[in-house]
Amino acid sequence: MVLRLNRNPGILSPILNNFVTLFFLFCNIKGLILQRKKLRNFREQEFMDKKIKQKIAFGFFRALSLLVVGILFWILGFIIYNGIGVISWEFLTTAPTDGMTAGGIFPAIVGTFCLIAGSIVFAFPVGLMSGIYISEYAGNGWIIKFIRIMTNNLGSIPSIVFGLFGMALFVNTFGFGDSIIAGSLTLGLLILPLIIRTTEEALKAIPGSYRTGSLALGASRLQTVTRVVLPVAFPNIMTGLILAVGRVSGETAPILFTVAAYFLPKLPSGIFDQVMALPYHLYVIATSGTDIEASRPIAYGTALVLIIIVLLMNLLATVLRRYFGKRVKIN
Amino acid sequence: MKYTEKELQALKEEVNEMWKLVLSQLEKAKQSFLNKDVELAREIASREKRVDAFELKIDSDCENYIALFSPVAVDLRLVLSLIKISITLERIGDFAESIARHVIDNDCCEIDRPIIDELQIEKMFDTVISMLTDSFVVLESENTRISGKIMSKDNEMDTLYHRSLDILSAYLQQNPALIRCGLKTFMIIRKLERIGDHCSNIVEEIVFYVDAKVLKHGGRVLGDK
Amino acid sequence: MIETKNINFYYGNFHALKNISMQMETHTVTAFIGPSGCGKSTFLRLFNRMNDLIANTRLTGECLIDGKNIYEKSIQVDELRKKVGMVFQKPNPFPKSIFENVAYGLRVNGVSKQSFIARRVEESLRAAALWEEVKDKLKKSAFELSGGQQQRLCIARALAISPSILLMDEPASALDPISTSKIEELIYLLKKEYTIVIVTHNMQQAARISDKTGFFMLGELVEFNDTKKMFLNPEKEQTQNYITGRFG
Repeated sequence: MVLRLNRNPGILSPILNNFVTLFFLFCNIKGLILQRKKLRNFREQEFMDKKIKQKIAFGFFRALSLLVVGILFWILGFIIYNGIGVISWEFLTTAPTDGMTAGGIFPAIVGTFCLIAGSIVFAFPVGLMSGIYISEYAGNGWIIKFIRIMTNNLGSIPSIVFGLFGMALFVNTFGFGDSIIAGSLTLGLLILPLIIRTTEEALKAIPGSYRTGSLALGASRLQTVTRVVLPVAFPNIMTGLILAVGRVSGETAPILFTVAAYFLPKLPSGIFDQVMALPYHLYVIATSGTDIEASRPIAYGTALVLIIIVLLMNLLATVLRRYFGKRVKIN
Repeated sequence: MKYTEKELQALKEEVNEMWKLVLSQLEKAKQSFLNKDVELAREIASREKRVDAFELKIDSDCENYIALFSPVAVDLRLVLSLIKISITLERIGDFAESIARHVIDNDCCEIDRPIIDELQIEKMFDTVISMLTDSFVVLESENTRISGKIMSKDNEMDTLYHRSLDILSAYLQQNPALIRCGLKTFMIIRKLERIGDHCSNIVEEIVFYVDAKVLKHGGRVLGDK
Repeated sequence: MIETKNINFYYGNFHALKNISMQMETHTVTAFIGPSGCGKSTFLRLFNRMNDLIANTRLTGECLIDGKNIYEKSIQVDELRKKVGMVFQKPNPFPKSIFENVAYGLRVNGVSKQSFIARRVEESLRAAALWEEVKDKLKKSAFELSGGQQQRLCIARALAISPSILLMDEPASALDPISTSKIEELIYLLKKEYTIVIVTHNMQQAARISDKTGFFMLGELVEFNDTKKMFLNPEKEQTQNYITGRFG
């Protein structure tokens, strides 16, 4: 969660900026008043002033960042407190029973993993290649600017719209019906901008000296990318990919119309089957189940499982990046 | 002016000082020789040490400059020529001193004045002094156009020197008793002739510095094959 | 032999090289000196067409290597770069092992015979005076080497594909004096087999290692002369002012 905020400051940053500006304005006015009052000890005063200002400012920033962490812990604590009770081996490995007021969430877990795998299989190669094209081949013309803007726009489309689009295109036009493949493709579209962006950024971060060094040895551009640039950028691309996985596993809206089953206590047998998925299951038992009150503990349990999956993915991202970061250098 | 240039200027200033000193030594040598002024001759002898000190100082300053500033092109040529000029000036100083020693020894006054006049020793003195003064002007102005004039004075010196050989040998044939004295006088003439050579060497060094031309031994332009 | 005829080069509207004609003989070291932004690096990069990578540039004039204009349509840039190796200002080894760094040029040019690659790697490392230092750790990362060693590795890497010309863009400017003198020593040795063109900010370096020196200023070749002549008696006053530090 925190990670996502950092990567996508989007909405927060203008507000934060204004806040910071106002804050400094305030500090400056205060400073001016102090200056007038104590013109005699001008230098010392100025010096002290600077120190105090800095202390206040960074204290404020620290408090804000701690607040974010605090909120995260609060959410986690809340979910764990309420959900830990129902977690058991049985809960994880059986299908729901009794109108989803009892039993487990196994089909939903399997479904979520199916969707993760499906969307990555589609989005990773496409995103990787687009990212490489944008960063390594396209130069800096108007086409590339256009592609970049469009990619960003794609990223900012609300996920429910993706859901509708996926239903229109994959479910109806292509005739896939409500199925894993329709849901995976929709989710894939959703994370495509993210993967393109992270790939592009990862490649941009590779110093140009590797490229010129390789080209100067008579390597082609493709050889340069595949043999020198990509191996170095790989850890960061992987990180982006895993963050995308986190995103996929948590999305509800895109799967609403394309794949998710309301209640399907069996495992899928092929890519054209419907599946249950954790986020949608959570939504269902929390809002429109047969007995909402009775299934509340199960809802918290489901939320806990979902959060753990996402956190594990983030952890995996960090571990993988460290591991590859070391390996790439030696190779 | 950059600090490297200031250093170089200071170096040049030192050589100028030495130059003035040697010039005054030479002028005093002339006075003391012509007037047989032993007092003045002693003064010359005692001031010779200062000339030597100058040479050592300039030597080490030039070494330092080369070591620390790695001069190239015109700067390098200037430093190189300053080293050589200071060595040459020191030589000239030595000659002035040995002329003074001759005056101090004061053991040969028998040669007739008319012969001295005929030998044109005074003119020789004047010529080398003017050569040294003029070459100083060349270095100061970095204008090498008058270098030819100075070099031609060296030829004049050579002529006087060869002429003096004839005059002296004729004179000594008539006065065999004065042979020692005559030889000593000839040595002085020889020294003056050498001073002339040194002066033209100095001019050659200045031309090397200013125009990057080597005039010595047939000559060539620097860097050309 | 490298020869340029009336080279003009533009970055967009900026006229970076103005009418440059010069000749560089085989098996000599030619140094380019001049203040930053004078065009000397741009000029160097013409010879292996590295400037092609920069968008919005334009070139007029001819650049001949062994009598062939390297900007003709029929010239394959990859082939050209095999023949004209380059060493950059900052050591830029690839994040690979020492062996793979040197082998890289061979591999991308289609050599796959292991025994040949191994032999060539050793030869190149020896030629770059690095073999003794790295022979026991060829599998180690190139980043474990010191800066000077990395730069020599980059030279070995360039030598591995047997170029005939070696371009060096300030190869020692990021190195300490000892590494610098090793690189200079290397250049002196390599001169026997390669034609070397080097851009340097260090005039003493140019004086020490080059046979001919070209002085660039504001995109013009002010003077191109024997190095000895250049540093004892340059023909142009601009050159003299630059090399003696009285620039401007």
